Amino acid sequence: MDHAIEMTGVRKTFGPKVAVEGMDLVIPQGSLHGFIGPNGAGKSTTIRMIMSILFPDRGELKVLGKRSAVESKDRIGYLPEERGVYKKMKVGAFLAHMARLKGHDAGSELTRKVNDWLEKIGLPDVSRKKCEELSKGMQQKVQFVSCVLHEPDLLILDEPFSGLDPVNMRLLRDLIREQHEAGRTVIFSTHVMSQAEQLCDHIVMIHNGQKVLDDPVQTIRSRHKPEGVWFEPYHADREQEALAAVTGVPGIAEVRRVDGRLEARLDAGVEPSEAIRLVAQAAPMASVELHRPGLEDIFINIVTGGSASADDRAQLRAALRDIGGDA
Amino acid sequence: MSKVMRIAGREFASTALTKGFIIGALVVPAVILAIIPLVGILAASAKPPAVSGRILVIDRSGEVLGPLSERLSEESIRERRQEAVRRAGEFAAGALGGMGSQLTGSTEKALEQIPVPRFTLESLGPDADIEQAKGRIRAQLNAEGDIAPEDRVLAVIEIDADAVVRSSDADAFGQWQPFFRPKLNSEAVDEIEAAVAWSIRERRYAVAGMDREAIRELDSVQQRAAQEITEKGEQDDTSGLTSLVVPVAAMLLILVATFTGGQYLLTTTIEEKSSRVVEVLLSAVSPMELMTGKILGQMGVGLSLLIIYNAIGIVALIAFSVTGVVSWQLVLAFLVYFVLAYFMFASMMAAIGAAVNDLREAQSLMTPVMLFSMVPYFFFMPVIRSPNSTLSTTLSFIPPISPFIMIMRIATPEPVPGWQIAVSILINLLGVMTLLWFAAKVFRVGLLMYGKPPNLRTLIKWVRMA
Repeated sequence: MDHAIEMTGVRKTFGPKVAVEGMDLVIPQGSLHGFIGPNGAGKSTTIRMIMSILFPDRGELKVLGKRSAVESKDRIGYLPEERGVYKKMKVGAFLAHMARLKGHDAGSELTRKVNDWLEKIGLPDVSRKKCEELSKGMQQKVQFVSCVLHEPDLLILDEPFSGLDPVNMRLLRDLIREQHEAGRTVIFSTHVMSQAEQLCDHIVMIHNGQKVLDDPVQTIRSRHKPEGVWFEPYHADREQEALAAVTGVPGIAEVRRVDGRLEARLDAGVEPSEAIRLVAQAAPMASVELHRPGLEDIFINIVTGGSASADDRAQLRAALRDIGGDA
Repeated sequence: MSKVMRIAGREFASTALTKGFIIGALVVPAVILAIIPLVGILAASAKPPAVSGRILVIDRSGEVLGPLSERLSEESIRERRQEAVRRAGEFAAGALGGMGSQLTGSTEKALEQIPVPRFTLESLGPDADIEQAKGRIRAQLNAEGDIAPEDRVLAVIEIDADAVVRSSDADAFGQWQPFFRPKLNSEAVDEIEAAVAWSIRERRYAVAGMDREAIRELDSVQQRAAQEITEKGEQDDTSGLTSLVVPVAAMLLILVATFTGGQYLLTTTIEEKSSRVVEVLLSAVSPMELMTGKILGQMGVGLSLLIIYNAIGIVALIAFSVTGVVSWQLVLAFLVYFVLAYFMFASMMAAIGAAVNDLREAQSLMTPVMLFSMVPYFFFMPVIRSPNSTLSTTLSFIPPISPFIMIMRIATPEPVPGWQIAVSILINLLGVMTLLWFAAKVFRVGLLMYGKPPNLRTLIKWVRMA
């Protein structure tokens, strides 16, 4: 079976700026891949090259077994980061127009599908409304429908959650899972790494135009063992006593407060299950749990070589959370 | 191809099936056509105020007052007006055929509404003081409201003693000079000046012993309306139409249709780019398909305009019984040169639309395009007068202005050599291909470029990049 995407040694520059360098990537059909990385990392450029909107300066690229996405555009659903609608067009007409551009036949079947999808995303009465009458969030859901209406084999979503409220974020997450369960290959990019953690079974981390991580989520989790124990003293008024007690536990390197939570960092080579037992016994605790490194931590470790100070890490984390897009 | 046609279809529908377009293309011309006769009626009903008053005459020659009084009488002025309209009608009928006769009819009716001035001549005698006479106008200027209209002094006319009979020691006749009150109606001024000149001339003929009627008869050369001999018989001469109206109208129609389509193309491209819908489209079609679809869609808009306006023109010609002015060869040339002109200008518009972020930024890049569009205006007179001159021939081979020049030349009665038509089409085809190639490159890169608007150097860089 052909892979959904194959990239070998792909390079893309814009004048003197190298946007993507030496990108090797294989995405099997039916997988749910997350592209993560900060602003300007090269995620959107990679996606645009996959979509044949941009063309690589060097390297090879195959999409759904074809030499370029141009030959298989009708089998791809694409939600770009820079997305929009025809403001004066009616929602139903817009969706039908996009579906027909993707090779869908016109007729009552298409109308039925448009109406079904609008109902599914909670907008059953908007078919005859102009796109400009919808809120930004509603427009975003309509745009998602335009990607899936023609039942593509490959779905590429660039920052699909940006601008959505939590309720619609959950709805979109469920719809993406549904598409994946229907056997479609899904690739989505995000700078919010927790979203990728929740949804993907495979992560591709991009930094400065280069792939720095390309592994299944399970592999990443097993490779990056817990580095500390989060704990919450039972008696809030006796926190200092609890801190002193935990600091004295063998195998604990330091105790610090991170994002409002208390964390006991482990010495290298300490068995996490033993550490959690000892911390729980050191003082009365309301909760104790292992702190597994998230993708954010892993990203920071990779880009800093693991040598960043606590302050530098905090700054990097804050920077990652502030950013809103990609280049 | 079906995707290109789908893009074209949406482009056409989103432009031509909107209220704005329908109002602009159909309702506005219809309203203008409806307003023209209304303006005539309104103009006729808004009668200019009747001019009446005194003319003080110091006729030092003692010869002119008599004929001048007769010439400026109400009856005489009315007769002359009617005669002028009759002559203008004969001329119009000769130049414009049936259309001219109808125009004359409506002009006559309009002229009837204009009141005839009423002048009262007051002779001050041959020895009167000119300063005193002028003083009477001055005195009235400060007391306008107290003076009855018929007592207002409109002018003072001073005629030299030798204006009619030359002095034996002079090389030329004497002169005459009018003095008018300020802001006197210009028609009244013309009427007075023409009457004095006519009266002096009449007296000179008489003194010289010449029969003025005989001279007038000798001067008057009557011509019957010119006729064109065609295969089907004879018809009113249409050379005025074919050598002037049709070439200019053809050039203007192509210009309007080209620029309307091009302007809409620019607007919709900028709109798609600024609303960020363009990347969604590019996931379904290639940039070339998108650009081609848009260009074809807007060509449909331009063609619709051409069909509408041509139909109106042809109906008008039929209504005025003018036939044989528009041949099928001209219609064919019209279509060919429209398509060539449109593709060249549309390519430029598409490239500009893709390169900029909003209409304001497009203005600086539009300047060279607009300059090209002005060239046919600058040269239409020399081209129409001499369709086969070196200037006309040279301009015919310079795209993108060539189609506008060629259609004017082809529309004139003077035949254009066939090889020039063939060469101009070939050169324009090359122009179309070059500009499409350039536009496709800029379109592909520009569509996804946001931020600082590009200049010409950046556009050339994009072309190399794409």
